[in-house]
Amino acid sequence: MKWITARRRHPLAGYVVVILALALFGVGYAGLAPTADQAQAQTLAADAPSPEDVDVAEGKTVFDQTCATCHGLDGSGSKVGPDLRDVGPAAIDFQVSTGRMPSMNPDAQMPRKPMVMTEQELVNLIAYYNESIRSGTNGADVPYDVPGGAPGYDDFKPLRSDFAEGEAGSEEYEAALEEAEAEYRTALEEYQDEYDEYIAGADNTDMGMRLYLTNCAHCHGWSGGGGALTDGRWAPEIHESTPREIYEAMVSGPGAMPMFSDGVIDPEEKQELISYVKTLQAEPNAGGIFDLDRVGQVAEGLIGWVVGLALIVACAIWITAKQRAHD
Amino acid sequence: MSKTTQAPKALRGVGNFIDDRFHVAKMGEKNLRKVFPNHWSFMLGEIALYSFIILLVTGVFLTLWFKPSMMEVVYDGPYERLNGVVMSEAYASTLHIDFAVRGGFLVRQIHHWAALIFVAALVVHMLRVFFTGAFRKPREINWLIGVSIFVLAMLEGLFGYSLPDDLPSGMGVRILQGVMLALPLVGTYISMFLFGGEFPGEDIITRLYMLHVLAIPALLLGLIVAHFMILWHQKHTQYPGPGRTDKTVVGTPMFPGFAVKAGGFFFFTFAVIAGLSAFVQVNPIHLFGPFTPTSITSGLQPDWYMGFMEGSLRIFPNTLDFQIFGYAVPIGVLVPGLIVPGIIFGGLGAWPFIEQWITGDKRAHNVADRPRNAPVRTGVGVAGITFYGVLWLAGSNDILSETFSINLYLTTYIFRVLAIVGPILAFIITKRICLGLQRRDRETLEHGYESGIIRQLPSGEFIEVHKRNSHETIEVLASKPTITSTALTEEQVDDKGVENPEGRKPKGRLRRALAEWYTKDNVSVEGVRPHSGHHLHHSDEALKEHTSSH
Amino acid sequence: MTENNIDNTGDDTPKRVVGTPAAEEPVVSVEAEQARDDHNGPYPASETHFNSEEVQRRGEKVASAWFIIAFLGGIGFLVSYFLFTPGQIADPQYGQYSNMLLGGTLTLAMFGIGAGMTVWARKVMPHYEVSSPYDELPSNDEEKGSFSAFFMQGADESGFTKRPLMRRTLILAMVPLGLAPIVLLRDTGPLPGDKLKNTPWEDGRRMYVEGTHRYVRAEDLENDPYGMISALPAVDDDHYPHGISLNDAAKSVILLIKMPEEDWQPSMNDEIEVDGETGTRLNWTHNGIIAYSKICTHVGCPAALYERTTHRILCPCHQSTFDASDAAKVVFGPAHRPLPQLPIGVDDEGYLIAKGDFTEPPGPTFWDYAKD
Repeated sequence: MKWITARRRHPLAGYVVVILALALFGVGYAGLAPTADQAQAQTLAADAPSPEDVDVAEGKTVFDQTCATCHGLDGSGSKVGPDLRDVGPAAIDFQVSTGRMPSMNPDAQMPRKPMVMTEQELVNLIAYYNESIRSGTNGADVPYDVPGGAPGYDDFKPLRSDFAEGEAGSEEYEAALEEAEAEYRTALEEYQDEYDEYIAGADNTDMGMRLYLTNCAHCHGWSGGGGALTDGRWAPEIHESTPREIYEAMVSGPGAMPMFSDGVIDPEEKQELISYVKTLQAEPNAGGIFDLDRVGQVAEGLIGWVVGLALIVACAIWITAKQRAHD
Repeated sequence: MSKTTQAPKALRGVGNFIDDRFHVAKMGEKNLRKVFPNHWSFMLGEIALYSFIILLVTGVFLTLWFKPSMMEVVYDGPYERLNGVVMSEAYASTLHIDFAVRGGFLVRQIHHWAALIFVAALVVHMLRVFFTGAFRKPREINWLIGVSIFVLAMLEGLFGYSLPDDLPSGMGVRILQGVMLALPLVGTYISMFLFGGEFPGEDIITRLYMLHVLAIPALLLGLIVAHFMILWHQKHTQYPGPGRTDKTVVGTPMFPGFAVKAGGFFFFTFAVIAGLSAFVQVNPIHLFGPFTPTSITSGLQPDWYMGFMEGSLRIFPNTLDFQIFGYAVPIGVLVPGLIVPGIIFGGLGAWPFIEQWITGDKRAHNVADRPRNAPVRTGVGVAGITFYGVLWLAGSNDILSETFSINLYLTTYIFRVLAIVGPILAFIITKRICLGLQRRDRETLEHGYESGIIRQLPSGEFIEVHKRNSHETIEVLASKPTITSTALTEEQVDDKGVENPEGRKPKGRLRRALAEWYTKDNVSVEGVRPHSGHHLHHSDEALKEHTSSH
Repeated sequence: MTENNIDNTGDDTPKRVVGTPAAEEPVVSVEAEQARDDHNGPYPASETHFNSEEVQRRGEKVASAWFIIAFLGGIGFLVSYFLFTPGQIADPQYGQYSNMLLGGTLTLAMFGIGAGMTVWARKVMPHYEVSSPYDELPSNDEEKGSFSAFFMQGADESGFTKRPLMRRTLILAMVPLGLAPIVLLRDTGPLPGDKLKNTPWEDGRRMYVEGTHRYVRAEDLENDPYGMISALPAVDDDHYPHGISLNDAAKSVILLIKMPEEDWQPSMNDEIEVDGETGTRLNWTHNGIIAYSKICTHVGCPAALYERTTHRILCPCHQSTFDASDAAKVVFGPAHRPLPQLPIGVDDEGYLIAKGDFTEPPGPTFWDYAKD
């Protein structure tokens, strides 16, 4: 306290306080601002689930409990939820895997969230949807050959409660844990290979870039950072979106987004487009570690003023500061 | 302390060589003795000067590789991600600078950050000059030169931003062309001549390149030199203080003190810009992708100094557009695109003359005003900043809408209201604050300053001890000028009983009204003797007397 | 802060008023006092305030330390340059390392010099507070009178004022030369003519998706009840890598939008005339597919942000909003005129084709856009 008391009337004290306050805000904001690596969707990239792996009855339970309140028991919709019969399984997979459904507030646009259901529940739900709700083959199918999210460790981890208590049980549990970890690593590697293969499978950057820039960038931005729409809606950022989710969004047109069916942009062309944006997003910033969230000119202008000019002025203050003994 | 009175031989040799040819000894000494007042706010213009030098140097480096050509090529170069993409040679050569020239990326970023800071420094320097009244006689011409530098710097920046031919940069040119087309009668012609045909044509980058690296920098350099020479000739203004008058300047001499400080400041400016360029990515054109007139990105923005134009184009309504004999007059483009910047820059340029006309003040001023002591001017300045600031924010309303989850249209309505109400409120509030500060100054002058020490008097009363002001503070406070106008003091009726004809004309009446508005609020310090306040017993000495008498 | 209230009446420095120098404190050291006695500097002793020898010595050390840091930074810069080959920096990750190393060392070098010089000026050098007169600016009457007499005598003698024929012919001679630069600019571009009013769209011309270069068939949009795609006219000029010049692309790019029949507004049935043919706007759609110019009528950005739920087309530049279900009329923002519609149909093979040019000139509104 003494130290502060002695210096608080120093000519530079005011500036120091302002700088400290700004720094505090900056650090505070950086700490509070949402970080990029939020929940990863835990879908395993795989082929379509085989019939023996799905439990349609289980899917019906899920539907009746979580979806029917708004969308009706037969999926025909209500005042608060749209008709699901024509939307197709791709739409269901997209909405649920990005955590947008089930929604607590049907009036508001839903942001991306961690998925509420388990992977198996979603598979069952889609099977039930296909069997009992979808009218004919309306809507797009889930593009199972496009990589989804990376596998999550939780799907592999054994539960301690499945094992006997005591010493022996612990040992068994440890062994299972190790096994699960190995399985998880293998699955992750497999997934990574599949993802890389999908991205590398695109070889026409010109096509991917033009498709993205002419049809997507005006809402989602040049790097997939999102953007404003009318009436308080927004086009979400697509940094965390998996290739499969992007694909599903294109064919199903969630929210205000128009549709881009396989007739207009065929699967290979979609692969070019998805690969373009994913490669762009994954590229390190050649210009330095701070990319200002790739917001662009507004952020650059702000930094130019509040960091650049402010630091230079701070130097000017140092140079011209009163030399107390003399002035 | 060692004293060197005799110059080293080598230096003397060079000195003599030059003096034999130019006779510079006397003039040289006079100039090295030139006095510069010390204050951080007097160094803001230097930031602009140094940024400009950095821009020139880095710009030369960039021209070594940049190809200002719009020829379409299929990229096949070191930056693998874009191989096979169709782009202009301008864009391809910028990729070359970024990814095949060592230090190229750094220099490009230095060039861009320096440009952002150059214009920012111009703005703060200009505001300093405005608010301290440093534009007054005899410095009006230098003010006009300054405003021209500002306008040219913005154009220079806009054209430079357009050269790499990346997605946002091409859109900037597109908007420029759209505004041009809106001009009645001549719009299409100007556009065709500038672009060598339709948009985007094949010439515009070559032409903007010439403007960006030759014509405008030459003009800027000339104006900056003139600006500096005038400053040198007239000497810098100073803030009020002991010994500082309109006749005498007090400060650090050019040699050796100021030269070293100013030199050091150049390196600081360069250091900050280099630091930003090293770690903060700016204008990543390789990520944006090349320009095509058919694509666009959300959150499209110009660099900050064009933001107010973008904002004014965004919020101006379309209801005033009309057709005359079937010809279109898009007011919604013309007013925000041409009239608004015209008002901002025209107003800036005209202000010294408007103020002089209102006050009739023809004296030369070398002591800067404290902003509070010219409340109307300060109010007008803050109103101007508010107007500019609202337009500026409106230029990023989509980013604001997305970041803070506000309805996009609502932001437009808010900014429309703010653009009109904001400046008025800003004027009133600023003027009130200025007058409040004037009152506090007067009180400080009369009673000394509040020491922050609370004492209890024997009577039980609590008082805050006031202390005597320093000699300097008194000097500063008492130097407050009273703002007057000749329009109010001129005789309305001359000695023959004839009414002054000037005062009857509308112009004369307007001038009187403005003079009234400009001068009416003033807290006079005339006749106030320092430390003569009625509760002087609150001051320290009085307190001592008080306590000792018990 | 309670101790503040108790006492320290003596040495509080007065509160500084913004914009004024701090109060004078006559703390000049003994050594400096001595130095002052035999002062032999460039400025009078009264205007020169010395630092004590001790402060100067410390200042020299600190300044030198900064200069050495700057030196090391400079060396680091040179080393960083050669640390990477031009081939390596093509990889953005290495590019980033190179950029940060070069920039970081440069920053260090620059800051070191700046800081060193500042310490030098503040701690080693005396502080000068020199006063000097401002120059008297207006010349005195004598000087002015002398100049004016001299100038007028010279002007008279030269005959410039007395011989008007010569003066006027000289001015006359300047006029054409003054116009020459303007005339010389004539060939910078062609005259507008009707270039802005015509596009490559014509009856029977197919269209392709920009990027894929695949012609669009009506049935391609079968599975998009709410589809949208950006398309260009099928022009194939070998001259351009994409088969179409940027000029043509800039004015002929369209948005194909598909929406359910029941979403059309009544105004879509209004009769209008284009290229001598009358029809309704709905006549020029095909199977729920409608084509609008993608270029905003405000200042020319691609207005592409289509919301399928509201059928709004929003321009991301200045937020002009058009209603796709209502002839692209402006519903918000600074644009004034609707996006021009392109009449479309299908050919025998099911490909979407244009049935003529746009209903109005596309792109930013210009003076004579409505004239033929």
